[in-house]
Amino acid sequence: MRVNGNLAVSAIAGVSLVAIAVALSVSGPAAVASSPKTPAAEHTSGYNPERNAYFGDLHVHTKLSFDAYIFNVRASPDDAYRFAKGETIGHASGFDIRLAGGPLDFAAVTDHSEFIGAMEQANTPGTAISKVPGVSALFSSDPAEIGKAFAKFLGTIRDDTTPKEFKDPAIHARAWKEIREAAARNYAPGRFTTFVGYEFTSAPDGRNLHRNVIFKSADVPDLPYSSRESADPEELWKRMETWRAKGVEALAIPHNSNGSDGTMFETTRFNGAPMDRVYADLRRRNEPLVEITQIKGTSETHPSLSPNDEWAGFEIFESYIGSNKAVTKFAGGYVRDALKTGLLLQEKKGFNPYRFGFIGSSDTHNAAPGSVEERNYVSKVGRSDGLPVLRGSVPQGGARTWDPAPKDPPRFQNWGASGLAGVWAEENTRESIYDALRRRETFATSGPRMRVRFFASYDFPSDLLTRSDTVRQAYAHGVPMGGDLMKSRGKAPSFLVWGLRDPNGGYLQRAQIVKGWIENGVAREKVYDVACSDRLAVNSQTGRCPDNGATVDLATCAPSRFQGDVELRTVWTDPNFDARQRAFYYVRVLENPSCRWSTWDALRNGTPPNPALSPTVMERAWSSPIWYDPKA
Amino acid sequence: MTLPPVARAILREPLTQFLLIGLVLFAVASVARDLRRPVVRIDEAELHQLVAYWEAQAQRPPTATELQAMLRERIDEELLAREAVRLGLDREDLIIRRRLAQKMAFASEDLEPVPEPSEADLRAWYATHAVDHVAPATATFRHVFFSSDAEGAEIRARAALSLPRPAEAGQPFVLPLSYVGAAVRDIERDYGPAFSRQVETAPEGRWIGPVKSAYGWHILRVERRVPAAAMPFESVRSDLADAWKADRRTQANQAFIRKLRARYRVEVAGMAKPPAT
Repeated sequence: MRVNGNLAVSAIAGVSLVAIAVALSVSGPAAVASSPKTPAAEHTSGYNPERNAYFGDLHVHTKLSFDAYIFNVRASPDDAYRFAKGETIGHASGFDIRLAGGPLDFAAVTDHSEFIGAMEQANTPGTAISKVPGVSALFSSDPAEIGKAFAKFLGTIRDDTTPKEFKDPAIHARAWKEIREAAARNYAPGRFTTFVGYEFTSAPDGRNLHRNVIFKSADVPDLPYSSRESADPEELWKRMETWRAKGVEALAIPHNSNGSDGTMFETTRFNGAPMDRVYADLRRRNEPLVEITQIKGTSETHPSLSPNDEWAGFEIFESYIGSNKAVTKFAGGYVRDALKTGLLLQEKKGFNPYRFGFIGSSDTHNAAPGSVEERNYVSKVGRSDGLPVLRGSVPQGGARTWDPAPKDPPRFQNWGASGLAGVWAEENTRESIYDALRRRETFATSGPRMRVRFFASYDFPSDLLTRSDTVRQAYAHGVPMGGDLMKSRGKAPSFLVWGLRDPNGGYLQRAQIVKGWIENGVAREKVYDVACSDRLAVNSQTGRCPDNGATVDLATCAPSRFQGDVELRTVWTDPNFDARQRAFYYVRVLENPSCRWSTWDALRNGTPPNPALSPTVMERAWSSPIWYDPKA
Repeated sequence: MTLPPVARAILREPLTQFLLIGLVLFAVASVARDLRRPVVRIDEAELHQLVAYWEAQAQRPPTATELQAMLRERIDEELLAREAVRLGLDREDLIIRRRLAQKMAFASEDLEPVPEPSEADLRAWYATHAVDHVAPATATFRHVFFSSDAEGAEIRARAALSLPRPAEAGQPFVLPLSYVGAAVRDIERDYGPAFSRQVETAPEGRWIGPVKSAYGWHILRVERRVPAAAMPFESVRSDLADAWKADRRTQANQAFIRKLRARYRVEVAGMAKPPAT
């Protein structure tokens, strides 16, 4: 090249070529160096053979996600890990954010693999990608313009007209490297665990089929397998099998089934073909968990699917996730329904693709893992909903009342401050936590750090609840959450249910067991109250705990005093157990009512809470299910 | 050769001779100017690079038409850029200035690569940056739990202190009843500050309490405490090397800027003395 050629162009071409060369020279997972901090065989200090509860967030976006960048988020994977460790980072809207409840125990940055890192390049003057016509219009700090840019870019993905510059593998490789390095740098065995991960962002016709892929170790592929290669999750699982064959272990966690319009848990394959055992095995091997709750709504169940569950209507979000289109089909989009579908398939076809445990996570796009605290909530899409007025919790234009009602309420007002992942693991290391994820010894919470134990057995000691080694006995005689009960020899199983409050949260109101089973070829469900607070007993007529009278003062968000319990602990035996019926059981622990984030926003603004929204929520935790199979 | 007398007369005219000489000079000057016209040349190396870049993106070689288009674009860009530089458009341009500054900064790093730290460098860095490599304070302790869900938890906790074996009082708990080398800050997060303060200050080897937590009342016995201390050198070696190199790079960059300062006189309007490097 001539010396007096255009320097900028030659430099960029040169840099890109170097990056491509680097990307191509990294061949095979072994080439990715393992973290030097990999712990030795000895245990870390918190090691507990009876396992500790660790809290984390496995769904986190940073500036490397195309949408987060459009939302003005500039925080990096390193920033995300710093936030998870309790440090302060900047929000896209210009203020500082920090966790009120202290550091998390683990986190995974899971940026969208599609066009990963490309937006940052597109907004860097002088790069090839920044010169693509129309690109500069993607970057604005005005929330209205951001919304338009986001919709426009989503449109190009849908129509496959995204400029080719966004598909530059050199850009993706650079971002993927940043993600791997941040995970390696921030991993401190025994104190804080990171996982390398990414989001596979498949949403045919806007129906959400997203999953997060979480890698067990620092051995990861050169680039993620993205939905640009195939929108079919089955292809993702096949790729994961190939990785596994090379020693790269990963699992995928679907989320926002509520926005799939009934397609996440269908009874046919993505390509329309019928399911078979091979398919069910493939799916279960790669998807042992689902994300049951996150900011874009909770996917446990929908009131229309569970009309006899008084608590089914928790943070329900009834739109597609990328637009305001209404979901019309709830069956196939909710987790409890899917578990029932799985039992039915097992009964009728002999295989079950839907045997999964639960986690929650935030899906923050602010690089803020665990930012799901009601009183400390900044929603999740950067500058688009960073201020209360943008998320519908305070009236528009500085008004002091909600009269007249807003004509075009933002969709963000129906999002919930929800989603943490809980795991029961021996110690805070990648190995230990990943193993817990694999064996489904996990639980989900709607944000608070509530701990839930759940075991099932036919022969717990009769003094299980009062002896000092309850947990050791429970492991010795039973199976923990995520496990399978052996076939009954006539006895009904008993369940140890044990919930503990969040030390910074509210008090517990009741513990429930949700049972699903097959009766005469039909899937049924029932919610049992199994432990009540305040020394109340389950009413034998209604099967419910009596009202404990807990209330919230909406003027101050202070809860009424002396209601609710620190812990709920019981052993429950299924009164309707039939040894011939397939079943699953999971725990749901409910807190006393407390102010919803929108009410906290209103309180700080000195205006009434938005009358279109519930002023309070009942925070909750869900254990992974335990299954009973008479043929097992 | 014979010319008609009229023609000869015209040729003898000084005006004609003047015009002819002018014509010749003009032709020579034109040729000379044409020879001096600056060249835009895409050499073989760049051509190769353009194609390689295309192939990396498209995963196939370009067609002849695509190559034509690529070249046209490259030539147009070069022409516009040259003309812009000729007219001085680069001089007041923020982006170009930043880009050039970046390139210079990178180039200066290449001129003086940061060496690998020696053992002595690492030891020295470790000694002077102790606060960056601190293992948190930990405690090894047992506790007995009395849930505030039941009446009289505090009284029962107090009574347990005078039992022969206090550890056998109390009730099972979701959180561990004994901790080995637990970070005090994690205890504070999980139990609250009143409890963790006792873990930090209670005399060792003896049951004390009752202590209140977010869950109820406790008595506790601290066996051993390890104050916050520097992590062993070997366990942080690679972190030390990273930090040392990052620091060296910063220093080298600053030294380079200082050298530049010495070669220029910097003036800022309205300021007797511009800010130092």
